[in-house]
Amino acid sequence: MRLKGKWFLIIGLLAFTGLIPAPAISAGPIKIGVISPMSGNYGDHGALERAGMQMALDEVGGKVLGRPVQLVMADDETNPDVAARRVRRLIEVDGVKFLMGGVSSSVGVAVGAVAEEKKVLYINTNGNSDQLAGEYARHYVFTSAPNMAILVRGGAKYVAENLGKKWFFITHDYSWGQSGTKWARASMKELGCTEVGEIKVPMGTRDFSSQLLQIRNSGADVVVITCAGFDNVALLKQLAEYKIYDKMKVWYTLMEYVDMWPLAKNDRQPYLMTEVYWNENAQTRAWTEKFNKKFPKAACPALDNGNYNGWLSMKVLLAAIKKAGTADDVEKIICTMEGMTIKDNLRANPTYVRSWDHSFLTQVVLGKANPAATGTDIYQIKTITAANKVARTNQENPVDVSCKKK
Amino acid sequence: MDSMLFLSLLLNGISLGLVYAAVAMGFSLVLGMSGVINFCHGVMFAFGAYFFWILSGYIGFWPSVVIVPICVAIIGFLIERLLIRRVYGLDPLFGLLITLGFSIALEEIIRMIFGPASHNVSAPSFASGTIIIGNFVFSEYRLFIGLFAAIMLGVTWFLISKTNFGAIVKAGMFNSEMVGTLGHNLPKLRTTVFILGAALAGFSGILAAPIWSIKSGMGSAILMPSFMIVLMGGLGSIPGTVIAGLLVGVTTALASMVFPRFVDIIPYVLLVIVLYFRPRGFFGEQNIND
Repeated sequence: MRLKGKWFLIIGLLAFTGLIPAPAISAGPIKIGVISPMSGNYGDHGALERAGMQMALDEVGGKVLGRPVQLVMADDETNPDVAARRVRRLIEVDGVKFLMGGVSSSVGVAVGAVAEEKKVLYINTNGNSDQLAGEYARHYVFTSAPNMAILVRGGAKYVAENLGKKWFFITHDYSWGQSGTKWARASMKELGCTEVGEIKVPMGTRDFSSQLLQIRNSGADVVVITCAGFDNVALLKQLAEYKIYDKMKVWYTLMEYVDMWPLAKNDRQPYLMTEVYWNENAQTRAWTEKFNKKFPKAACPALDNGNYNGWLSMKVLLAAIKKAGTADDVEKIICTMEGMTIKDNLRANPTYVRSWDHSFLTQVVLGKANPAATGTDIYQIKTITAANKVARTNQENPVDVSCKKK
Repeated sequence: MDSMLFLSLLLNGISLGLVYAAVAMGFSLVLGMSGVINFCHGVMFAFGAYFFWILSGYIGFWPSVVIVPICVAIIGFLIERLLIRRVYGLDPLFGLLITLGFSIALEEIIRMIFGPASHNVSAPSFASGTIIIGNFVFSEYRLFIGLFAAIMLGVTWFLISKTNFGAIVKAGMFNSEMVGTLGHNLPKLRTTVFILGAALAGFSGILAAPIWSIKSGMGSAILMPSFMIVLMGGLGSIPGTVIAGLLVGVTTALASMVFPRFVDIIPYVLLVIVLYFRPRGFFGEQNIND
């Protein structure tokens, strides 16, 4: 007995000194790196997604598996090179094993590349380009927001049948904008509509007068717009200024509530796709109320794409960590997340994490901005479409980043 | 191209060009008088828009147009006294770097105070309509801002060209030390010019707010085009600034018909062309290398 006890003591001391490695279980906080815009064109969108993440974290008391969760923030400045550099620092210096965030799809691609290289789980929260789950789909990367294929297909039929068949495109000239127009053009052809023209606008455009004058005289029935951020707020004002609505309908392939909200009533006229609307049901209304109490100075006084995706991403990650029973084995958490279904996502359709492209599939909303609305209920919901009904099939998107493939 | 469409684009370009020229004018006066490349100038533009957004809801359009530039001028006064004064006579790069850093800090302060979201202010009711004649479309508000910017430039021209104060300022642009040696209060003169420049930027912010919406980064968007216009027009030259502003505005408006993806580079292309043939700009008296 005494000999055995002595051996236990020796082994324990050796483990303590590190000569025999102790089991790899961390006891410290679980660090999640948040790579999100804090400045620039999408600064306010970034603030919303971070607020959503915080909401989800607070709902579980800031802990999972008994360990506190610590968010380590970094500004991506809506610049892929800056984002990649800062993410490396988050991983190499701060030691994060999870990353979350991202509004610009170009930034999402850059961050995804680093995550894949460093084997860190990354959930891109608000990038909508189909490239993120397509040609840039990666084993370590998940995408929370519906991509442009889902958004456009979720509304194109309604637009073709109710708004008109001659389409003119305004494209925000980068990855996401090009993605939206690409899918709108594909849907247009399927639905028997015709293209009247396209104008690509660089990011940072504030004056759209020239473009709108051309569009006004184009003979189009519908202007299909894929444009966001500060540029978009100026565009929305100028659409009304140039009386575009008198000549044709306007359909946004994706609208952020935070872009529409500050406008005068007369400027709120387009049809639009949105990932979520605060007034869909009692749960979304209750969440909005809670959010407004917690973040009274938020850029957006309601549940919107940004804060919803931040909230959903955090919720799914924490649920996966809990289900996997570990916050250290990233591979196990990825495999656990694949195929998960989240029913308490506030929506009529549950969120499903598709394994082969790592997309979160929920639902999308087609709405019409209402110039007569008062308060925050500024949209009229026209249709709600489950994402899995309109998402790309594996045949259309032949990727496989699942654990099974690996 | 349809002639009415062309006319609409042309007038839009002129209107926008005059606003750019009004912003650039303040920049040019400070640079010419003090030798300081003041990158805080864009933030003055943003302050003008924000103060207008706040005040116009309470006191209306015209009282705001009077009060807001005074508020921005006060901020300009404080910046000149606390910051700009320290870089007079030094390499212009010091002024550029210090004012650039300070402008980034000021943008953050704006964001902290007013929040990250965009804010909206509508065009005044007397200029909220649109003139439509066939294919000719022109916003009443853009007509208004074009005229207002032209008046601002006209008043500035009168001040600089036809008054004693203006004569001293012009002399100071040529040789500021000599002006000081001749008994004029050079520091006070520089402060006055800086305040004038800030007020011009503030006015321009008021004009732009209803068409561009208001956000903390809006100053950065106007700064580089203004700098290009200053260099193209020639340091301290009002006619040069107006011509360069109109050139940028009209060329950008018309170029969007031909290559809309590349309109952002137009001011830079124009700058290279102008400076290649005229290093002093259109009507400058100093070479930019000096």
